[in-house]
Amino acid sequence: MALVTTSAVVLRTYPYSETSKIVRLATRDLGVQSAIAKGVLRPRSRFAAGLELLSEGMAQLYHRETRELQTLAAFDLLVLRRELAQDVGRFAGATAQAELMLKMAPEAPLPGAYDALTTGLDALRAAVPDAVDAVALRGLWLLLGALGFAPALGSCVRDGTPVPTLPGGGQVAFSTAEGGVLCARCAPPPPPTSNQATRLPAQAHRDLVALNDPDAPLPALAPPHAAAHRRLLARFVRHHFGEASTLPALDFWERHAWSPPLPPPSAIPAPAPAPAPAPSAAS
Amino acid sequence: MSAIEDLVTELSQLPGIGRKTAQRLTFYLLKQPVETARRLADAIRAVRDRVKACGVCGMLTDDDPCVICSDPRRDPSVVCVVEESADVGAIERAGRFRGRYHVLGGRLSPLEGVGPEALHLEHLLGRVGDGSGVREVIIATNPSMEGEVTATYLQQVLRPSGVRVTRIARGLPVGGDLEYADGVTIAQALLARRDMSEAD
Ligand SMILES: [Zn+2]
Ligand SMILES: [Zn+2]
Repeated sequence: MALVTTSAVVLRTYPYSETSKIVRLATRDLGVQSAIAKGVLRPRSRFAAGLELLSEGMAQLYHRETRELQTLAAFDLLVLRRELAQDVGRFAGATAQAELMLKMAPEAPLPGAYDALTTGLDALRAAVPDAVDAVALRGLWLLLGALGFAPALGSCVRDGTPVPTLPGGGQVAFSTAEGGVLCARCAPPPPPTSNQATRLPAQAHRDLVALNDPDAPLPALAPPHAAAHRRLLARFVRHHFGEASTLPALDFWERHAWSPPLPPPSAIPAPAPAPAPAPSAAS
Repeated sequence: MSAIEDLVTELSQLPGIGRKTAQRLTFYLLKQPVETARRLADAIRAVRDRVKACGVCGMLTDDDPCVICSDPRRDPSVVCVVEESADVGAIERAGRFRGRYHVLGGRLSPLEGVGPEALHLEHLLGRVGDGSGVREVIIATNPSMEGEVTATYLQQVLRPSGVRVTRIARGLPVGGDLEYADGVTIAQALLARRDMSEAD
């Protein structure tokens, strides 16, 4: 057994006894781990702030690879992230990221995914109110990428033919099942008869490319367009994680369960082309 | 399966009780006079048969409406919102609050699949909007992230009604639990409550 010190984010906690909790941690050096925090519920416990959901700290873990439940020896708080609870939308985006990490990350070091998670959570804390949805979408897409599920957006997922973003109108076929865009040759003829391929309006394709590029300016998404992007991402995740597995936080975020209902969504899962000027973000 | 095995299995389903403790409890009961075990069994049956949620506030109670909702000395113009029935007990023990309650029966928890529809909010909104004179809603959810986001959500839902919405102060330890806090801390947190507004 080794005592390992690693930065870690609290993804979930479960009460275990009157004084102890079991925590699920995303750790930078050991991947996702379960650990028991003995005495965390005692007054003046040595665990900072009672191991709050989404908080980050330096964790000391007694770690043995063959064991399912590790022992948390200490957790020195670095960031509490309480701002996320001051806005339900931010909290929803943050917990959807935590859930992806819980369900998809291996029990093995994956520092890229860890960094994508903390970057995504901090971006949600700092986002201006109008950008919360777009920031959550970017965080989730980049986390998916770090976990090895990046969508193919610049070239056909089937044969590699370049699929450039269209400057004006038009549509681009996107296959959830295959994990990316399809070139004109591979795309089924419109109207799509199967639910395998979605027709993304050119604007939605440009926005999707920008959301997946951490260096591109963040696209401004009007509420119906943001809703369509949430549905696309949720469908992508569900396909890759198996329809059977439940993803309640992703569902909560996708349908904006806390908001009054939007005007009826369009029949297709992506928005109709917007009259808004084309963003320069699509390069 | 033997009767002993049955009881050990049932007890070990309870929170915080492992198989070893379940075995100890089982053999303890077997050594006691038969009446002890009977009283325990009767109490378990009675709690399931008699206890229900108060139709007004949602608290688990033998009587509907509960003793607090039916007490004319309690101020109906102030409603304190808590996560669980056990939190009512904690605030009552502090002995300072003279208003009434609304028990959510949980808190928003996307990761556990608990959404707004699980929190009996139509009852709360009904009480605030039915002209029965509710002036203030004090939100006393736990100071955890999920308790905090629940408070944020409630404030958003109650805003159109124009009622004053306050949040208990952070005298409670971060990550703490109302149920385990002492009476003085709870009384102070209630006294130092603050108005919730967009600017928070
Ligand atoms: Zn192709
Ligand atoms: Zn009642």
